[in-house]
Amino acid sequence: MSSAHNVHTDGSWLSRFDRALFAIETKLTLLGGLAVMAAMLISVANILGRKLLNMPVPGYVAIMQQIVPVMAFLGISYCQRLGGHIRMDLVTGALRGRWRWLAEFIGILVMLILSGALFYGAQNHAMRALMLGDTTDDLGIHTWPVKMVVVVMFVFLILRLFLQLWGYGRAMQTGEEMPVAVPMIEDAATQALNEAKTVSSLDEEALK
Amino acid sequence: MTTIEIAILLSGVLVLLVLIGVRVAFATAMIGITGMFIFYMTEKGMDPGRAMLVTLKLSGQIPHSKTASHVLGLIPVFILIGYLAYFAGLTKAIFEAAKRWVGWLPGGMGVATIFSTAGFAAVSGASVATSAVFARIAIPEMLALGYDKRFAAGVVAAGGTLASLIPPSAILVIYAIITEGSVGKLLMAGFIPGAVSAVIYAVMIVGMAKRNPKLGPPVTGYSWSERFASLPAAAPILFVVAIIMYCIYGGWGTPTEAGALGAFVVLCMALYRGMRWKDLSGALIESAKLTTMIFTMIWGVLIFVRYLGFADLPNTFAAFIAGLHQPAILTLLIILGVYVILGMFMDAIGMLILTLPVTYPAVIALNGGIDITREASSLGMSGEECGIWFGIIVVKMAELCLITPPIGLNCFVVAGVRPDISVQDVFRGASPFFVADVVTVGVLIAFPGIVLWLPNLL
Repeated sequence: MSSAHNVHTDGSWLSRFDRALFAIETKLTLLGGLAVMAAMLISVANILGRKLLNMPVPGYVAIMQQIVPVMAFLGISYCQRLGGHIRMDLVTGALRGRWRWLAEFIGILVMLILSGALFYGAQNHAMRALMLGDTTDDLGIHTWPVKMVVVVMFVFLILRLFLQLWGYGRAMQTGEEMPVAVPMIEDAATQALNEAKTVSSLDEEALK
Repeated sequence: MTTIEIAILLSGVLVLLVLIGVRVAFATAMIGITGMFIFYMTEKGMDPGRAMLVTLKLSGQIPHSKTASHVLGLIPVFILIGYLAYFAGLTKAIFEAAKRWVGWLPGGMGVATIFSTAGFAAVSGASVATSAVFARIAIPEMLALGYDKRFAAGVVAAGGTLASLIPPSAILVIYAIITEGSVGKLLMAGFIPGAVSAVIYAVMIVGMAKRNPKLGPPVTGYSWSERFASLPAAAPILFVVAIIMYCIYGGWGTPTEAGALGAFVVLCMALYRGMRWKDLSGALIESAKLTTMIFTMIWGVLIFVRYLGFADLPNTFAAFIAGLHQPAILTLLIILGVYVILGMFMDAIGMLILTLPVTYPAVIALNGGIDITREASSLGMSGEECGIWFGIIVVKMAELCLITPPIGLNCFVVAGVRPDISVQDVFRGASPFFVADVVTVGVLIAFPGIVLWLPNLL
């Protein structure tokens, strides 16, 4: 499994593009996190409003149905950049050099083909909702904007996958050990040190 | 080739893709789409172009339609609680208290981890989040004290599974919705089995550490005053637990609302303890990342599940079960055996969503039907009791998925948080807990009263 990774950078156009895309992906993921917080606040307003003021949030379920896919998709490309999507690395972990980059290249290619296929299906789903004027039962919220969020995030994912495909392709060609713009497993000692630093601050404060 | 044979062949290709490192969610979705494409050509007689078009339109709507669910909103909210509770100092505080109170036992830090994950599970309903949070907190301390790396990672991965049973549990809510059962009774039914699981884990850890002291030395030297001093910091977790339990059991709100209220309280605590925007945005990004990871698994698996439905695998399984001439309990054990095998390859939620439409009616029928009385039934439970009892058993089986290779999510998350520990090591470390879970399932089958006592009080 590889999910916490380090991505090497340099001054190449590939690395610059990677960092520029990552800056956007990070903001989108934060937006996804804010959507989680919004869902939390709306749910709190709904329960307190209903019990204390006899005034639940109108169309609460419809609103939640619109928010959940946003939470589910805004981080998809960010997650891929950091190598966060779940995988087994029994075989690839044992490979070295060009063979390893070839295995990674094939894996990314499969993901790219699938993402292209799902992009087509998802945009068809969104366009049909737009054409038919599909709305939620409560409040009559148009469903196409959220369906379009899924489409847009597949575009970001495809961009990210193209970039990683290029990165692994270049690594296959040059045989370099530390290719840029692709997730690399950090040195174990460095990761352990970072983890130890994480377990501190507020938790320690809480015990005082 | 028959449709079933093609489905079995494609399942083999899926295993191959996963083994060569293709991301699991994308591998399952890819095989699902390929299977649907073949199905439309061979079974529906479509030409390849038309079959591809229909497949893409159908599968392309699954990522949105399967995530646009109010119930699934529970998952990110509980993930957020997990991260906020970390910043609020709750996780570290409960771990510290558990360490001071039970650390003196052989493998004491492991026992402390199990009890603190059980306590944290009562705040966070997400197994994966629990494992992620405790991998950050418990593993560094255990390693610093000389604990075996595999053992420490296995304890955290297994401890995280307790969140599946101890209320509020997202999986139990999904079970209730699929089987049209009572959410309140199911959540209440999970409480004692969750506690029993924790005790069995703890007993096993003590036994292992006694036999091999190198696994984990006891932590001694805490005075009684130091033990009591650790309690006030852990007390807020009880407050949050009380809020969530009261909301659900008092009928105040839905599980999602209860979780949201808990998250809100934890957020307020974290802010009170000085959490800054940088920390909050970090928690939000981590929550969104983990949410995406889990939801991607869900929709990826559900595309595959849709194909399995086309291939009629569920009905084939039902016919197989119905055709068996043997005692009901033996058939039940066979079903559970199938869950163990399925759980090795499928996500827990995907597995439940796929199988319950088949296994739930099969088990209810085995017991004598939904209207059967306790006296007339073959398993000694009324129809409704059997539904609740099977829910707890099947969720316990789903817990097994979280720590069994090749796609046990908790093990991947622990390895993800601790890249210095390979996923293979986490799986090896968690394997004794698989045995403990089998023992727990045996206890719950032999004594259904453990499950049914609390819900029968409602």
